[in-house]
Amino acid sequence: MESTKGNTRKIDVFRYDPTQGGDGHFDHFDLYIDDETNTTILDVLIRLQKEQDSTLSFRYACRVNMCGSCGMVINGREGLACKTNVSDFPAKQGITIRPLNHFPVVKDLVVDMGPFFKHYEECLPFFEPRKIMDEPAIIRPDSKERIAIGLATECIACGCCVSSCTMANYHENYAGPAPLNRAFTLLMDSRDALYEERMDKVLQSCYNCRTEFNCTEVCPKDISCTRAIKYIQRLAIKEPFKSVAKPKPAQDVESSPEPEPIIMNTAPGTSPVIQTPAMDVKHDTSRCRHESTPAIPVEAIEANNTSRRSFLAGLTMGIGAVSVLTVGGVLAASFVGPAMQKKPPLWVPAGSIEKFPVGQVSTVNLRYTENVGIYKQELVKPVLVWRPPNQNKIIVYNSTCTHLGCTVHWDVNQNLFLCACHGGAFALDGSVMAGPPPRPLDHMEFKVDSGNLLIAMV
Amino acid sequence: MIHETLKADILIIGMGAAGQLAALYAHDENPDLNILIVTKALKGKGGCSRMVQGGFNVVLNEADSHEKHLMDTLKGGQYINDQDLARTLVEQATPTIKEMETRFGCFFDRNPDGTVHQKPFAGQSFDRTVHKGDLTGIEMISRMTEQIMKRKIQVLEECRAVDLLKDKSGQQVTGALILNMKQGKFIRAEASATLVATGGGPTQYRFHAPGPEKSVDGLGMLYRAGTLMRDMEMIQFHPTGLIIDGSVVAGSLLEEGLRGSGAYLYNGNGERYMKNYAPDVAERATRDVVSRSSYLEMMAGRHCEEGGVRIDAAHLGAEFVLKNFPGMCSRCAQFGYDLARGPVPVSPSAHFVMGGARINRDCETSLDRLFVAGEDGGGVHGGNRLGGNGICESSVYGRQAGKALARFMADNGTAPPETDPEMVGELMAKYLAPFGRNGKEELFVLRDELKECNWNNVGVVRNAKDMATAVEEINAIREEAKTLKISGTRAYNMPWNIYIDFLNMLDVSDMVVVSAMARKESRAAHYRSDFPEQDDDKGLFNSFLTRSADGKPSLITEPVDFMYKSLRECQIHKK
Ligand SMILES: Cc1cc2nc3c(=O)[nH]c(=O)nc-3n(C[C@H](O)[C@H](O)[C@H](O)COP(=O)(O)OP(=O)(O)OC[C@H]3O[C@@H](n4cnc5c(N)ncnc54)[C@H](O)[C@@H]3O)c2cc1C
Ligand code: SF4
Ligand code: FES
Repeated sequence: MESTKGNTRKIDVFRYDPTQGGDGHFDHFDLYIDDETNTTILDVLIRLQKEQDSTLSFRYACRVNMCGSCGMVINGREGLACKTNVSDFPAKQGITIRPLNHFPVVKDLVVDMGPFFKHYEECLPFFEPRKIMDEPAIIRPDSKERIAIGLATECIACGCCVSSCTMANYHENYAGPAPLNRAFTLLMDSRDALYEERMDKVLQSCYNCRTEFNCTEVCPKDISCTRAIKYIQRLAIKEPFKSVAKPKPAQDVESSPEPEPIIMNTAPGTSPVIQTPAMDVKHDTSRCRHESTPAIPVEAIEANNTSRRSFLAGLTMGIGAVSVLTVGGVLAASFVGPAMQKKPPLWVPAGSIEKFPVGQVSTVNLRYTENVGIYKQELVKPVLVWRPPNQNKIIVYNSTCTHLGCTVHWDVNQNLFLCACHGGAFALDGSVMAGPPPRPLDHMEFKVDSGNLLIAMV
Repeated sequence: MIHETLKADILIIGMGAAGQLAALYAHDENPDLNILIVTKALKGKGGCSRMVQGGFNVVLNEADSHEKHLMDTLKGGQYINDQDLARTLVEQATPTIKEMETRFGCFFDRNPDGTVHQKPFAGQSFDRTVHKGDLTGIEMISRMTEQIMKRKIQVLEECRAVDLLKDKSGQQVTGALILNMKQGKFIRAEASATLVATGGGPTQYRFHAPGPEKSVDGLGMLYRAGTLMRDMEMIQFHPTGLIIDGSVVAGSLLEEGLRGSGAYLYNGNGERYMKNYAPDVAERATRDVVSRSSYLEMMAGRHCEEGGVRIDAAHLGAEFVLKNFPGMCSRCAQFGYDLARGPVPVSPSAHFVMGGARINRDCETSLDRLFVAGEDGGGVHGGNRLGGNGICESSVYGRQAGKALARFMADNGTAPPETDPEMVGELMAKYLAPFGRNGKEELFVLRDELKECNWNNVGVVRNAKDMATAVEEINAIREEAKTLKISGTRAYNMPWNIYIDFLNMLDVSDMVVVSAMARKESRAAHYRSDFPEQDDDKGLFNSFLTRSADGKPSLITEPVDFMYKSLRECQIHKK
């Protein structure tokens, strides 16, 4: 922190106008700031809008780090505009502000948080009471479950972690840090009934995490999603089969006084590597928060006053071991395999075959209910049905973009399937015509039964 | 201009505690109901419920009682509460908070033995405030948003209601005109029943605690629709809003628990001035008393360098402050203040609207098919709200509304009558007008003028002369607003939305000043330097107000109905 009085900053802000399309560009502004310690990036944007360009768009609501609306990338790092002060940057440095990564841009700095909440919902982030009680459960604040959960429930869904995560970019099905963190807090919650269903939904995702700690680095609420993810893996590995047999009371999850080592078979023929799961908690002595953070499992880490820098230094040293952990993770998943059986496909009716005109692409929203253990989830899935002319043929495409999982739609004028998120485009035969998608659109299995089209949901 | 039409059984405007609980309880009573929530922010991100710091007042302990909570509430409100609403509040708070834990998965702070912890708050005869650290709202709203997801209740995000729709008779509400802010397109949303739960939020003042996203929209809409409003002079100022010069953070709160725990307030001369204004309780006096005292010190020139007064918690011990108020500490630390070890400059900050639509315990209003819950409703708190009774109100009345809406749908849930055919077109034309104009781009200037006008003339301390000035200024600002111009495209156009906010603020400013002029005494949050005494002979009335044909408020007063507790009982109650 550098306290600077009276300074003119060079500020570059990403601009994108949905009515113009294109890739967007940066606009440059010069702004004189009286007192940089008292000026947040949000103040800067408000002033630019008031004084220099009223068409500038950004999102905020609470202005005090509570709503998670103002996540953006500020000088290359994710953060809340209302929690980042101009004085956080050296006086001579310019400030570049762009929207969060991996989210479709709505306008300028405003992104569509839809993909975030989609993943969030898929992790079953909601409490389901184990039984309806009349009184709040008696749970001691120093119980293992509460110590483990700590302040991890304080996530404000700002999306910074997802934006910082390189894996969220590569794996369309990767739930991402914040959703997994929420799943973790519920897996640990002894009041909740959906342990297995949730574990079933999230475990696979956990193995996409490469333990890069980006999410932990940027979280404005000092939550470590990395820790949460590793915790879930450990829960699953410790009791792989038991979790199917009976719901797992959270209390005895950590009955052993010492951290449980995770044993990983790296590859056939090599000897197992024993590695204590990398649990981490971020410490930042510049804020007064750390003294009260009960979130730290005793075994988790270093002394409470470790500075972030030395903590990160420690991490670098551990990197070799960490990458081994990832490989081990994948194998461990197959080890846990029996608990997570594949379900048979669900045949969902899409209506009479007559409804789909030859020579046209039709979009149908399939509605179906998925049984997830004792919990029923109602789902709506758009699928794309293409009936080529002069052929007795039907092709059903999965509308999920093969890039990052946004929904593609059929554009009659351009004769293309388009994905609004990153501009992916697919031809009628499903092949990639433009944009980042790595492979053609996926086909979906279907059958025709007494004139009705049925589509397989797996 | 073309617009989309959506139809639902129940339209809920706002997604704070009131809106969310209404949706959850209505859904759980009848899962087949088609419920549509529209919210100005992203899912669960807008509103004050999320910003709740201190906590939720509720009777959970055998040594406490609903009777005591009721008496505290009436005493705090200086006797002009709607006693039936206040009683429902305290009685239903108990099951409401329990269900938040047992059904919706909130987890509040615990005592060492594992039972729910309750902390002290000002103006209460028992330590009854349930909380989660010092950022209680995040826990409540995050958990409830997830429950909305679980039930697949439809939510339109960044879609703000601009006005209520009515049938030709003007008596039945048929839904609302919605602006999809992202796309800049209008939606006509029609429903058998409509709930307004936009959470008040007096941001029409220089310093305000609610996020700038809020702009008394619900109150403005209700008033324009002709709903009967009450007690609009009662605006609460929280005593400890941060002063951060030039930043939007200004006005954001340092929570009440600090004073509750014994923090001191000092004026610019380093005197603990609260000992002069409230010798018995000093800083622990209710918000109205502390805010007024601070304001008077500031006006008398005894302000600190930053323009306000200073709160100091250092004598409580750094460890205690850091442990109990981590959120407040980091908020101060961001701007270079160390709350645990030294003073922080604060000012009174506009916080809460006690007035609002007149409702009954089922959240029904003076118009048919229209329900109101949460801060948009009036009467629960009388002249002053106790800390911890706000989120309590929005939760309890959200739950009441949800149940009442489900009952309404079961009993007479017919489709609404036809919306007045002219209405949608006229409203769209009104809100789109500034785009075509060849006028001035002075929106921000005018809005700030209005905030200053309200702060100086209809704020913490009022008098007849200042309020007369305010009426003139508000009228002049309204005239100038007719020349405002908005540029750019409609999609995510922030100034356009600020313009709509500003129109709501103007209407609410009218209501406040007219009601404040009619109360010629000082009571609770309403303090007049020209009538500095509380007058229990002439002042025990409620003001009711509607919008008359000329667009100006018309006001009548009615004596307070002491239906459960007599004036005498209220007067002698000591917390
Ligand atoms: C900083 C702060 C701290 C507080 N701390 C406490 C406390 O400790 N204890 C306590 O009891 N009370 C506290 N309060 C008061 C309490 O937060 C409110 O009384 C309560 O949350 C109001 O709830 P609500 O549901 O009525 O409205 P809100 O929670 O404000 O929700 C309003 C909703 O309506 C939406 N909305 C607004 N306008 C529109 C529109 N035009 N169209 C569609 N949607 C719209 C918003 O986006 C939001 O979703 C605090 C308030 C603030 C500002
Ligand atoms: S975990 Fe942290 S960074 Fe991620 S969404 Fe939640 S608050 Fe934001
Ligand atoms: S505006 Fe709410 S977190 Fe920044």
